[in-house]
Amino acid sequence: MEKPRHSIRFVEEKCVGCGTCMRACPTKAIRVVHGKARVNDERCIDCGECFRLCPHDAIVSETTSYADLEKFECAIALPSPVLYSQFAPDVLPNQILLALKKIGFEYVADEAWDCELTTNALQEYLDTSEGPFPKISNTCPVVVRLIAMLYPNLVKNLVKLEIPRESAAKKFRQKASKSREIPPEKIGVLHITPCPAKMISINHPVGLEKSNLDGAIPISDIYGRLLEALKNLEEDIVLQLSSGIGIAWAISSGEIMGIRQENCLAVSGVHDVIRVLNDVEAGRLNDIVFLECLICPDGCIGGSLTVQNRHQARRKVRRLVKMFGEHTRVSREMALRLYRGGYFNLQAEILPNPLPPLDSDPGKAIQKLKQRDKILMTLPGKNCSACGAPDCRTLAEDVVLGQASIDDCVFLTLEKLKRTA
Amino acid sequence: MAADNTFIQEYSIKGWDFTRAGEASCEIKNILKQIGVSQDVIRRVAIASYEAEMNVVMYARQGTMRCEIDTTKIKITIEDEGPGIADIDQAMQEGFSTATPEMREMGFGAGMGLPNIKRNSDGCEVTSVVGKGTKVAMSFNL
Ligand SMILES: Nc1ncnc2c1ncn2[C@@H]1O[C@H](COP(=O)(O)OP(=O)(O)OP(=O)(O)O)[C@@H](O)[C@H]1O
Ligand code: SF4
Ligand code: SF4
Ligand SMILES: [Mg+2]
Repeated sequence: MEKPRHSIRFVEEKCVGCGTCMRACPTKAIRVVHGKARVNDERCIDCGECFRLCPHDAIVSETTSYADLEKFECAIALPSPVLYSQFAPDVLPNQILLALKKIGFEYVADEAWDCELTTNALQEYLDTSEGPFPKISNTCPVVVRLIAMLYPNLVKNLVKLEIPRESAAKKFRQKASKSREIPPEKIGVLHITPCPAKMISINHPVGLEKSNLDGAIPISDIYGRLLEALKNLEEDIVLQLSSGIGIAWAISSGEIMGIRQENCLAVSGVHDVIRVLNDVEAGRLNDIVFLECLICPDGCIGGSLTVQNRHQARRKVRRLVKMFGEHTRVSREMALRLYRGGYFNLQAEILPNPLPPLDSDPGKAIQKLKQRDKILMTLPGKNCSACGAPDCRTLAEDVVLGQASIDDCVFLTLEKLKRTA
Repeated sequence: MAADNTFIQEYSIKGWDFTRAGEASCEIKNILKQIGVSQDVIRRVAIASYEAEMNVVMYARQGTMRCEIDTTKIKITIEDEGPGIADIDQAMQEGFSTATPEMREMGFGAGMGLPNIKRNSDGCEVTSVVGKGTKVAMSFNL
């Protein structure tokens, strides 16, 4: 079966064509055609804004379901550190990992530890990198796609280290295959995810040939089961290996918490990320060594598949960081050895993927731009989006590209009617 | 330049308006992407036009940024009403800056704006009348 192009899907029967999603989409990928929202696959970056805002539950995430656990002879859970922030103040990471075991994962790995390991590698990477600066984090799949599409010049700024969930998945699959004496493909390594976007980085990875993960289960999907399991945990073994440095990856500025360099910057939220990338492209942030960009507000705790409100979650992360300390539990020597041995090397190049111009012939593209502005002058400029485009300018552009008609504008049509009446 | 093969757009820039600062150069960048200009030229235009725009925001009362694009050339002209520059040669030197401590706190004042405009464009001309204003005209070959 062909893998879905994106991590969200529109359910046509439920869509009423209100356009809430269309107005929120940062890349203007959505139009309402014949009363139904429609996504242009080429423009969608899987940010999940539409999914977050749809008032009619007409957008669903294309993630892995808990029932899929059965497909594997052995299932490994790789929970995002965000999971630790989703429970009551007194529930600790180790208990949550034990609860995952209880609900059916044979092995449960503390992904936060692998984040911590990557922090150490990142430190070395930044120390030895020759630029261009700022280096931009590659952990949020949406940011990577946004840059490839709208800021192709900045693709070379992306950090070239394998992201923690991928390197961890590879490692744990090998481990489990050995200890269980079963072929690696019989093992299911599943990320427990705060966002649909992880699914797109599994189905269509960037920077590697094939993902090491078999799927991503939403935090919101297994939350109830975990709450139940937490009530009476029988087992008592140590599964949490991470310190606060790894746990902090759940929030904005978490990736830079363990970094020595002073000139680091953390930005979160889609609009602020776009703004800071414009600054980078204008050459204004060359003195910054590392730029952490996360598309969700306040970082991954703001992901659309979480259950706790992000302000509470942030508080919980802060608490855990304090509790488990800002002193890494990863041996620096080991991290360096792995780094030099190529453990973090990307398996494939990240390629720019810019949007096509208005026309492949520059002269014609200029003509179309002029035409667009001419049409724009005739439109009312109310940006009401009743035409099925998010704003007047986009409608004008669609008209020039032959994808819409100027008659789609309700104001112009109304005026026409009045005149002929 | 035949007028009908040229795309012309003009933006106004307000002095000391930091919330909208950078918008005009960003718009130009988007236009170039829609025309399909090469990534390298886009990068150079982004840097040069942003620096010129910010100089108006920081030093002048108000100004305009006009861009003219045809298939062979991009011309961007930034004209402002402001204090003007008395010694242009000096202003063009790397590191020369009259930025105030407040501006430096915001990350400006390295004295690299005008030199960067020169370095990134294929031609640039700065003219100024003290007490009236400054004009920076830059061009990029396609
Ligand atoms: N539009 C302008 N009007 C008046 N003075 C200007 C204008 N543009 C530049 N100058 C003068 O020229 C100097 C050098 O400008 P330049 O852009 O090279 O550096 P800067 O603006 O001081 O610092 P940076 O651009 O690195 O933040 C400025 O400090 C200012 O005195
Ligand atoms: S996921 Fe984001 S980019 Fe894709 S259609 Fe929805 S809002 Fe637009
Ligand atoms: S910020 Fe985190 S949670 Fe949000 S889309 Fe990116 S990776 Fe997913
Ligand atoms: Mg300047």
